[in-house]
Order: sequence, then structure tokens, then C-alpha cells
Amino acid sequence: MLTKFETKSNRVKGLSFHTKRPWILASLHSGVIQLWDYRMGTLIDRFDEHDGPVRGVHFHMSQPLFVSGGDDYKIKVWNYKLHRCLFTLLGHLDYIRTVQFHHEHPWIVSASDDQTIRIWNWQSRTCISVLTGHNHYVMCASFHPKEDLVVSASLDQTVRVWDVSSLKKKGASPADDILRLSQMNTDLFGGVDAVVKYVLEGHDRGVNWAAFHPTLPLIVSGADDRQVKLWRMNDTKAWEVDTLRGHMNNVSCVMFHAKQDIIVSNSEDKSIRVWDATKRTGLQTFRREHDRFWILAAHPEINLLAAGHDSGMIVFKLERERPAFAVSGDSLFYAKDRFLRYYDFSTQKETQIVPIRRAGSTTLNQCPRTLSYSPTENAVLICSDVDGGTYELYQIPKDSIGRSDLQEAKRGPGSSAIFVARNRFAVLDKSNNQVLIKNLKNEVVRKSGLPVPTDAIFYAGTGNLLCRSDDRVVVFDLQQRLVLGDLQAPFVKYVVWSSDMESVALLSKHSIIITSKKLVHQCTFHETIRVKSGAWDENGVFIYTTPNHIKYCLPNGDSGIIRTLDVPIYLTKVSGNKIFCLDRDGKNKTLVIDATEYIFKLSLLRKRYDHVMSMIRNSQLCGEAVIAYLQQKGFPEVALHFVKDEKTRFNLAIESGNIQIAVASAKEIDDKDHWYRLGVEALRQGNAGIVEYAYQRTKNFERLSFLYLINGNLEKLSKMLKIAEVKNDVMGQFHNALYLGDIQERVKILENAGHLPLAYVTASVHGLHDVAERLAAELGDDVPSFPEGKEPSLMPPAPIICGGDWPLLRVMKGIFEGGFDSTGRGAVDEEEEGADGDWGEDLDMVDSDGLQNGDVTAILEDGEVAEDNEEGGWDLEDLELPPEVETPRVNARSSVFVAPTPGMPVSQIWTQRSSLAADHAAAGNFDTAKRLLSRQLGIRNFTPLKSMFLDLHTGSHSYLRAFSSAPVVSLAVERGWSESASPNVRGPPALVFNFSQLDEKLKAGYKATTDGKFTEALRLFLNILHTIPLIVVESRREVDEVKELIIIAKEYVLGLQMELKRRELKDNPVRQQELAAYFTHCNLQMPHLRLALRNAMTICFKAKNLATAANFARRLLETNPNENHSKAARQVLQASERNMTDASQLNYDFRNPFVTCGATYVPIYRGQKDVSCPYCTTRFVPTQEGQLCTICDLAVIGADASGLLCSPSQIR
Amino acid sequence: MAVAAAPDHLFHLRNNFYLGSFQAAINNSDLPNLSPDDAVERDCLVYRSYIALGSYQLVINEIDSAAATPLQAVKLLALYLSNPHDKESTIASLKEWLADPAIGSNALLRLIAGIVFMHEEDYIEALKLTNAGGTMELHALNVQIFIKMHRSDYAERQLRVMQQIDEDHTLTQLANAWLNLAVGGSKIQEAYLIFQDFSEKYPMTGLILNGKAVCCIHMGNFDEAETLLLEALNKDAKDPETLANLVVCGLHLGKSSSRYLSQLKLTHPEHILVKRASSAEDSFERAVQSVA
Repeated sequence: MLTKFETKSNRVKGLSFHTKRPWILASLHSGVIQLWDYRMGTLIDRFDEHDGPVRGVHFHMSQPLFVSGGDDYKIKVWNYKLHRCLFTLLGHLDYIRTVQFHHEHPWIVSASDDQTIRIWNWQSRTCISVLTGHNHYVMCASFHPKEDLVVSASLDQTVRVWDVSSLKKKGASPADDILRLSQMNTDLFGGVDAVVKYVLEGHDRGVNWAAFHPTLPLIVSGADDRQVKLWRMNDTKAWEVDTLRGHMNNVSCVMFHAKQDIIVSNSEDKSIRVWDATKRTGLQTFRREHDRFWILAAHPEINLLAAGHDSGMIVFKLERERPAFAVSGDSLFYAKDRFLRYYDFSTQKETQIVPIRRAGSTTLNQCPRTLSYSPTENAVLICSDVDGGTYELYQIPKDSIGRSDLQEAKRGPGSSAIFVARNRFAVLDKSNNQVLIKNLKNEVVRKSGLPVPTDAIFYAGTGNLLCRSDDRVVVFDLQQRLVLGDLQAPFVKYVVWSSDMESVALLSKHSIIITSKKLVHQCTFHETIRVKSGAWDENGVFIYTTPNHIKYCLPNGDSGIIRTLDVPIYLTKVSGNKIFCLDRDGKNKTLVIDATEYIFKLSLLRKRYDHVMSMIRNSQLCGEAVIAYLQQKGFPEVALHFVKDEKTRFNLAIESGNIQIAVASAKEIDDKDHWYRLGVEALRQGNAGIVEYAYQRTKNFERLSFLYLINGNLEKLSKMLKIAEVKNDVMGQFHNALYLGDIQERVKILENAGHLPLAYVTASVHGLHDVAERLAAELGDDVPSFPEGKEPSLMPPAPIICGGDWPLLRVMKGIFEGGFDSTGRGAVDEEEEGADGDWGEDLDMVDSDGLQNGDVTAILEDGEVAEDNEEGGWDLEDLELPPEVETPRVNARSSVFVAPTPGMPVSQIWTQRSSLAADHAAAGNFDTAKRLLSRQLGIRNFTPLKSMFLDLHTGSHSYLRAFSSAPVVSLAVERGWSESASPNVRGPPALVFNFSQLDEKLKAGYKATTDGKFTEALRLFLNILHTIPLIVVESRREVDEVKELIIIAKEYVLGLQMELKRRELKDNPVRQQELAAYFTHCNLQMPHLRLALRNAMTICFKAKNLATAANFARRLLETNPNENHSKAARQVLQASERNMTDASQLNYDFRNPFVTCGATYVPIYRGQKDVSCPYCTTRFVPTQEGQLCTICDLAVIGADASGLLCSPSQIR
Repeated sequence: MAVAAAPDHLFHLRNNFYLGSFQAAINNSDLPNLSPDDAVERDCLVYRSYIALGSYQLVINEIDSAAATPLQAVKLLALYLSNPHDKESTIASLKEWLADPAIGSNALLRLIAGIVFMHEEDYIEALKLTNAGGTMELHALNVQIFIKMHRSDYAERQLRVMQQIDEDHTLTQLANAWLNLAVGGSKIQEAYLIFQDFSEKYPMTGLILNGKAVCCIHMGNFDEAETLLLEALNKDAKDPETLANLVVCGLHLGKSSSRYLSQLKLTHPEHILVKRASSAEDSFERAVQSVA
């Protein structure tokens, strides 16, 4: 039982849940009806009009009404919105036990101790039927949820089912006079409109409660005989099915559970019992110490029950509804309906993975509570409360997502179990306060005592545990056995780590604490209602849910509501503005939220003003709340950008010290108060100009004068004097004169104002004797006398400088103007980059070197190297080494130790198994490698191969620093590694040369040829020829490709050698022509052939060998050259057709097929004798036999050789 | 498998040492409240870290003749490694000590002797001293010796002993990774996971990066290996194994690795890769002679 809410009060006799709102009505024995919000835990209202106990209470399904009935014989209908009783239905003659609204008709059914059941129409406020038949108190009566039936229970030991279908007709046509007449008749004759359908007899004592099944034709009843009886009915009869015995005292109330196949009953024996409705066995009993139970109520929609007892009531759930889940990267694992399921956040697909064990016992609440997942091992740990805490370990085979054969899980006792490393999990052993570290075979690897009494453990990073005790949590390092962090925290229920494992949120019932990974407190959030779940978003904002809200927490302790919720959800992941969650039915849901507000606040907090700016510019948010927030957080200058209202703008500008904006706003507003405040702020900043302006606008002359005095601006001060004069403001005039130090003016003012004695004194003190005398004359006798010895002087000091503004404070400017500026600049940069790109392309074209290179790349497409690496590999398992038989078996611990003989190094194994030269070279066995090469390919000159041999050897081992200061371990690297390769079976060595590299080289060679870099090209093709003897490929097809590659490389080497030779021969035009001609007979790529032909054509044409040139031109035209070339060719053809002769004799007969000798560069026509190189197959004139091949520079011409061996497939 | 309760003060120090962050081991060696035994072990670890960093002379100077046996052993190691030309005298005194029944069975002395004999490639002699085990380090050394001898079957037996003592011990995990790499095949992946675990649990060190890189090399994943090695090179530009593995990687990727090679030749002329290369050159010349 999960108690959600409890009240303490007088005895609770009636209960009713509200359909939509989290409200419950409780009617008390004291006569009060209470309305509670069970989610917030607050008393919303109380209704106290009944006299004596209120036993029945019921909410209306849809209207803001409820009905109550009490021992004052009254049925009252209330409107909870208006907080008052609407009317009272009178008629019963004794206590009223229950009242209930009909779900669609405007009816109320009531049961009373007057032995009747009455049905009322609350709209017409009349009783429409009185059901008589019971001959003792009727303890309860209720409508069937769908059919026109009423069930009642009475102390007369019977349960009665009534048919009320005729009432419907009565209500349907009230205007029908004839019907009404007949009704009156029936009413007169004892009321036959509602009739008893069945009388269920079987209880031995009075029946307290009877209830229908929500869907099936079943009735359950509870009675003072301490029994719960189950009844079944059909159209014609009803009968007793079974009896549930167990209660020790009168059963007060009993009902079917709407969603599960269970019956819930409570009794005066102070217990609530849960029964299996099919097996009819007791499942669970919940006892209270002192309180007898009186009433039960079920929520019409969600999974909540309530029970009333002697001193209050409880709202509770029978089973937790939170699905156990674990998030790992992009996947969610969760338990639902006895299956472990998998949900992919990116594809939003869910899959059933493996069935999990059905709880063996029959008690409730045995569902998985927590789930822990190890991604590398693909293993899941599920903990449940079965047998006082059990964990189960499931390993999910990689290929079997969706396969659902029942896997026997490894299990063990322990209230919590979590993965602490890839292949280790910790199980809490509460009784010994220790954790057992187990491996995936469920074997204990280690035990470790815990530093605090722990009742649950949570993950806290690899090798660490977060241990929870009652009032604190600690992070404990299992290996060092050290407490890494310790924090006082109210009972932590859930722990949510941020994805970078740097922060953790500890969720308790009513609070969230955010701390660092070492439990350094960062902030705490308190909730008035339960915290349900939480998840971190990518930016480090913690998003959490309560039963009715999704909220956010910022790292600085700010929080706010994102949106409201109708039903509780359990967050699994937050990604951008998407929230993934599980609902109570274990369904995955995705909610889209508006993340703007918290992202905005976070950006502010992190001082990411560029983000703030862009959000402001896109005006994604506004409103009083944001402005208030900005002001409160000290960002008035940011708030400024939101506000249109001038007054607010002005206030914000003043607050942020932005005088310009303040002035602009003040101008708009133009009232005295704002100008004044502007003046004050400007004065504070020392911005005299603005102060002056503000004073001028408000015509505040006194202040203005004083400002000028302070500034030493005498000129303006005298203007002020004039203004005062014009305005006839004597005081102002005097002040200004005083400020100016203008005595005469002062005397004049005083005189004009009639203050002659003062004028006289002023004049005489300041030495204006003529004026003083004149005034003395005017005054006559009243000449004032001067005090002795004092010479007062009211002369202001002369200003040293006349300054305007002070050096102004730096106003916060940068952020915003800066923000705009930087984005502007960014755009310019991008444009410039674009220009760069174009430039690059231009350059490419420049670099084309006079030779056409347009379509070369397109032609080089035959290099499709199919890599068949997946198939097979080496099948040499029968040669398993090292031999274990001969070694003497010695107990390592015995005193006489015989060291084992060293095993065979891997390199030795390589040479034993392979007859490929490359493998031998890699193994460092150059001797045999060379023997193999000379036998297979007739190679005698190994000098060009030296670097290849050394590279192969160097690349065959990797180096591992193992034990400090001990020699390094060198490890043999094998080729063709695959995940499934079995260990201890040696594969062949990994070679540094592979076929694809050669392919690259071939392309580079082609490119160099096209570019006319013949030396470079020759080097590349030679390199190919030199590497091939040490190449290893897998399949036969690749062997053929390698052989083809030899031919290609050979042809190019020959051709390029001839071409280079030709260039050396400056003074032998005949030989030049011959070589150019032979070049065209090498097997070249089309563009290269074209170039060779053009070359030969030009040379021959120039040498006046027109017939030969014409031949080349014709061949050139056959290759479909581009416009320019074909034009040239046609011209040559035209020119030579006029004169089909050759100026000089060439050793070149193009009609007769030939090959060119690789050493002497003379044609060997078909049928002539030749010898060839055993490796590269170049042909030579017979005289060259026994020489080193001039093409490949490796093999001896005409030597015996068995042929290229470059693949294990050739040996098999 | 008793329930261990006392905090292990030297845990971090040992870990740093085993995982190759020697400077961190030295820097964080100032631990309060150590028992005398722990203090000696601490000093040994610190001096061995100095040796690993190549500061032999510092160790030789700081350990005087009054120091405890383990420290003397460490000093011998420093002497041995600092003076490649006069190994004989060091080995002689080592043998003399080993013969002394009072100190001959000291675990660290045996360990150092094992290391020295490994350098001498006298594995049999090394095993005679280390096979009895006694500390995790000795077992780990045994594993390494067996791997060197290409006897992975024996190495595996040693590893099992270690696993029985403490499966999650850093040295057990490391030895497991070494063995996995030595036997190859599917075990390479397990080795990779072990190094991966280390990198999640502890600060990255050159040793961990190298370990991961070697796994990648063995899995044929040379690009990733190169990335890891370059990261390791950032941490220590002179680390011989990083350089050597970079040479290997470069060869396989078809990139020029001659700079790394010459760097290695300059800083560590005694490195096994350099030695192998030069001996390979000799044997090539010899083979040319014989074929010709």
C-alpha cells in the first residue's frame, strides 16, 4: 500500500472522489463535510450544515454538485463553487446511510434506516420512487454503472437487486397526461415502478455493503457475519458464488477494483484486505493499530483508493505505477507487463527484448522497482521487492532484440543492485551493511563494508556508489574504500546524473538537491507537492516533474514552470525542446515544450550574450515576467530591449545608466517627474549637459543656476539673472547675482525690492561708497550700524575652469551593440570565404600545364579493388601452437620451481606457416623471404626491395609498456582481425603494404604522366613494381588484379623510360622518332595514348616523315580527341596525304604487330625470338638473357621461376 | 575475500604508478598518517616513479646505505639502468643480497631482481625469483615474463591467481589486458575495453592511450590508433613507446614515419624497435650475400 495522503479528524463515514480534480469529500461523524485536495494536501472547504453524523456523500460526475445524507433525515445537494447548500430533500423518516448520483439521469438514490430506498429527481427536487421491501435498516444502495439496476444491502441479512427501468419512462414523458394518470394509479397501489429483481440471501447477519462489478454481472457484499460474499446474476436469477473469509469483525465496506482483478474490503477489525477475485484468496492485509474502518471509495478514473476510519482517512494506491527504467545514450530500457522493453529515442521505436520473471508469490507490488544497464555488456539488472528484495540479471544477446524466449535470469537477494563498472555490479546487503561486488556470472568478486548505514545504493560513476541513509547521502569509492563526498539530504528517492557525470540531482519527496559529482551542494529546490521524476537537458538545466507540472531548475537556483500536466509522467530524456517520458501505463510519449524561457535565462546566467541577443532579435519571448526577471537579476540593460512602453523603458534605462535611451524616453514622456529623475541620474554620472537639459525642460531655474555656479559657467549664470529679471523673480535675481558675485546688481535688486537697509549694508561693506552714500541719504536716520570688527564678504570664489561634462562613467554598452556588430561581421567573413573558394578553382585551371587533363579522372575508374576481407581469412586452426604437451606441469607454488621452456615467437610461427615472401619479410626472416622471391619470380637484385623489407619487418610488431621499468613487450600484429577470431590462434602478420595503396599509387602515376612529370611517374610505377612482390591479397580474383597491375606498371615503365631516353637524345632525330613511335605501342590509358600519339605525330611531321605522321594522326583521330587535337590531326592528315612519303627510314613497321625490347628499345616483331623477365614479363631480345631486367630492376631475364605467389588462396 | 574496511591510503599513489602517471605519483605522495610500512612502500613507489622518468641519479643520491631493504633494491635498479656498461657489478651485488637469507626473500628485492634479469633476457633466472609470488606486482611481472617467453598458457595461470586475489585490482586488469593482447583474436577487444575502463575511471595517461592505440593497431584500426597516439604524444613528446607505435602506425597508413623513427633513434637508441630495425638491416645485408 502506498499512502498518498492522510487526514486526522473525527470518524469518517462517507467518501467520494472528484472525477477530474484531485479532490476528495469526507463526511464525518461530527456532521462536517470536508473537501480536501489530496495532491496538495490542503483542506479546500468545509460544509457544516447537517445536524449529527453525515454518513453518505457523493460528487456529481460533471456538475459542480455533491449530495450528502445524514442522521438528521436530510439529503442536501450542494454547489461547491458557490460554497453552499442548494436545497434539501426531505422524506426519509430515519438516518440516511448512503446517497449517490446517477451517472446520467438527474437522480439520487438514498438508503435509510426507515427500511426504504428512495430515488429522487434533483432537478425537480422530488422523490420519484420509494423502494420498499427490506425489513430492517437499509445500509447501502447504489446504481449500476451501466444498467438500470440498484443494489442494496440491509441488516435484514439480504442483498436486493432492484429494476428501475420503468422510472426512465416515467421521467421521459412527464407531460403525457394519460401516463401520468396510470402512474398515479400505480403509485396509489403501492408503487410498482421500481421492483425487486432478486433477493440474495446467504449472509447470517446484517449486510453492511453491496456493490456491482463495473463490467461483469457480479455483486460483492460484506456483512456483520465477517464474510465477504460474491454473487453472480443473469437475466433470470442470481446466486451465491463464493465466500471470502478472513475478516475478524464486521465487514464495513467492499468493492471490486476497476482495473485489476481484485476485491478490496475493509472492516471494523481495523484492516483493509485485498482479495484475488478469481482465485478468491487473500492477497494482502493492511492493518491499523486503533482505527476501525468504515468506508471505502475508488477514484472513477485513476488508480486511487480511499478509506475512512475512526480518526480520519487515507488516500492510497495498491501498487506503484512508476515503470522501472534506465537510460543509456540514445536508448531507454524499461520494464512493462512482464517484459523488458527497449526504446530508441532517435527513431522512437520500441521493442520487446526479453520476458522477465513473473513474481512467484501472489502479493502485490512485486513489479520491478529499479533497472540498471551496462551498455558494453548489454546486461540489465532489475530489482524488485520480491522476497524482501531481489535482483535479477539479464544478459541480452546482441542479435536477439525482439526474440522472446524466456532466459533464465541470474538472481539473488538484495534490495538494490546496480552496475558499478562495465562488468561488475554491486548488491546491497543491508543486514551486514556491506555491498557485494559481483561479476556477470553472479559470482562474488569482492565485499566491501559501507561507511554509513545504507538502505539503498545508486550509481555514482564507475567504481563509485552513492549510498543513501535516512538523512544523508555519501559517495563511496569502492576501490579506495574512501568517502568522496557527504551531504545531508532528506530521504533521497531517485538520483539523476547529468550526461557528463559532473552534476547529480537528488530527488526526495518534496525537494531536489543539485550537487557536483562529489556531492558539493549547488542548490536546493523545494516543492510543496511530490517530485516525480527528472532529467538533465544538454545544456545543464535540470527538468523535473511534479504530479501536475513540468518545471526547470537552473544551476543558479532559479526555477520555473514549463507547462502543466494532466497526468503524472516520468521523464526519461530531454533533448532540445523534446521531452521523452513514460506514462503510468508504461507507454513512451514525446512532449514538445517551449524551452525558450529557461534557455534564455541560462544564456544570461552563462553570459552567453550572443545567444541572448539572437533570442531577443527573433523575439521569441517577451512579457512582464521576463522583464521582471531581468531587472531582478541585474540585467536592466537587457530588459530594455524588450520593452516598448516608454515609462518602463525610462526606468530600465535609468537603472542601467543608459542616459541616451533615458533621454529619448523622457522626451517621449515629457513630464516633470521623469525629467527630474533623468537629471538626478545624469548628475550622478556627471553628465552636465543632460542635467542642464533636464533642468531646462522642467524650468527648474534654481537648480539650473546652481548647476551653472558649480560648473563655473558665468555666462549662462548671467543669462539666468536676466531671465529672473524678466520673470520678475526677485529671489532668483538675488541668488544669481550672489552666485555671480555682482555686487552692484545685488545692491540694485535689494534697492528695487525696497530693502534699503540691506542694500546700504551690502554697498558699504563691499566698498561701493557712492551708492552707500546715496542710500544713506535716502534712509536718513535709519542707517543701520555695523557690528564691530567684522567685514563680512559674500563673494563667491572665481571659477578656475569652466567645465561641461565630467569624464563620463563607462556605460554598459558592449554587450548589445557588440552582439549586433559581431553577427554583422560574421556575415562579411562568410562572403569573403566564398570568394576564396572561387579563387581556388581559378588557380586549378591555370595549373593545367598546357596538357589536357580534363577527362583523366573520369577514365581512371577501372581501379575497383574489391576487398573480400570478410570472407575466410586464414584457415590454419589445425596447427594450433604452442605445444603444451611436453612442458612439465609444475605447481607454480611448489618449492622446486622449474621454469617453462620458452614458447615459439609468433614471428617463427609466421614463417612456418607461410610460403609468401611478404610474411617471411615481416617476420624478419629475410633469408627465406629472398629465397622464396628468387624461386618464385627469379629475383636476384634485392637492393630496391630493402626499404620494403625493413618496413614490413618494423610494421609487424606493436610495443606495449607493461610493467614500469621492465622491458617493453613487443606484440605481433596480425592481419585480418575480426571480432570473432579465436584467441591463441595466430593469424598471419599485418603487412604495411596493401593492394589499395598500390591503387592509389597507380592513380598518382597516371596523374603524373598526364601532367608530364615523367620522372615522377616513372618513380611511382617502379615503386609499384617493387612493392608487388611483397603484396598479399586474399582472393584469387585479387591475384589476377595484381598480375594485371604488373603488366600495367611494366608498360608504363617501359614507355616512360623510352620517352625519357628520347628527351636525352637531342641530335638523333631518327632514334627520337622511333622511340616516340614505340611509346605509342605501350599499353597506355587512353588520354596518355592520345598524348603519346600527338607527340609522335608532331615529331614525325616535323621530321617530314609524313606517312608515319599520317598513321599517328589517323590513330589519334580514332581515339576521339577533343576539338583542338582532332583539328591538328586532320591538318596533319591533309598535309601528308598530298605527299605520302617518309623523309627518313625508321625501324618501325606499324602494320606488323610487335613488342619493344625493354633494354635495347627495338621492336621484336611477332615470330622473332625473344626472352622475357620472369617477374614483370617484359620481353627482350635474346642477347639480354642472364642480365638484370632493366624494367623491374629485380629479376634476371630468362631465369626460371614458379610465378607470382601473393595470396594464401593460391596455396590452398 | 574478507570484508575490507580500512581505507587504502596508498591506492592513488599505486594506481598512478601502475598507470604511468609518474609525475602525478610523485606530486601526490605527501600523505599524512602513514604506518612505517606504508611509508617505506610510498618511498619505493616515489623512487621507482623517478626511475621510470629517467632520473636515476636522483634516486642513487637520495637513498643512503641506512635505508630499508626495499629502498636499497630500488637503488640497485637505478644503478643498473643508469649504467649500461657496468651491469656486472650491480648484478653481482644483487645476487649477493638474494643469497642473504635475511633479506633475500623480500618481495620488492625479488621484484627488482626479476626486472633486472628480464633486462638481461635471463627469464629462467627471473622466474626463479618471482614465481613464488607474494605481491600483486610479482604476479604481474610473472605474467609479463611469460608473455615475453611466448608462454601465454603460463601467463594465463598467473593471471588466474591474480584474479582470485583481487579481480578488480589495477594490476590484475592491466595484466589481463597484456595477456589479451598477447593471445590476440577476440581477446583484443576485451583488452580495449579494459583500457577504456581505465580511461573512464582515471585521468588519461600515455600508458592508457598507448594501450588503447595498440589494441586499435591489432584490430587493424590504424586511423584511430594514430589519433590516440598523437594525443599521447601531446602528453609526452619523448615517450619511446608512443614514438615506436607511431612509426608502426605510419607505416601501415602509408604515411612517412621517418621523423618519429629518427626521434626515437636519438632519444632511445636502446629501444627494441631501433634494435630490431638495425638488426634487420644487418640480416638483410647478410641475406643478400647468401642469395647472391
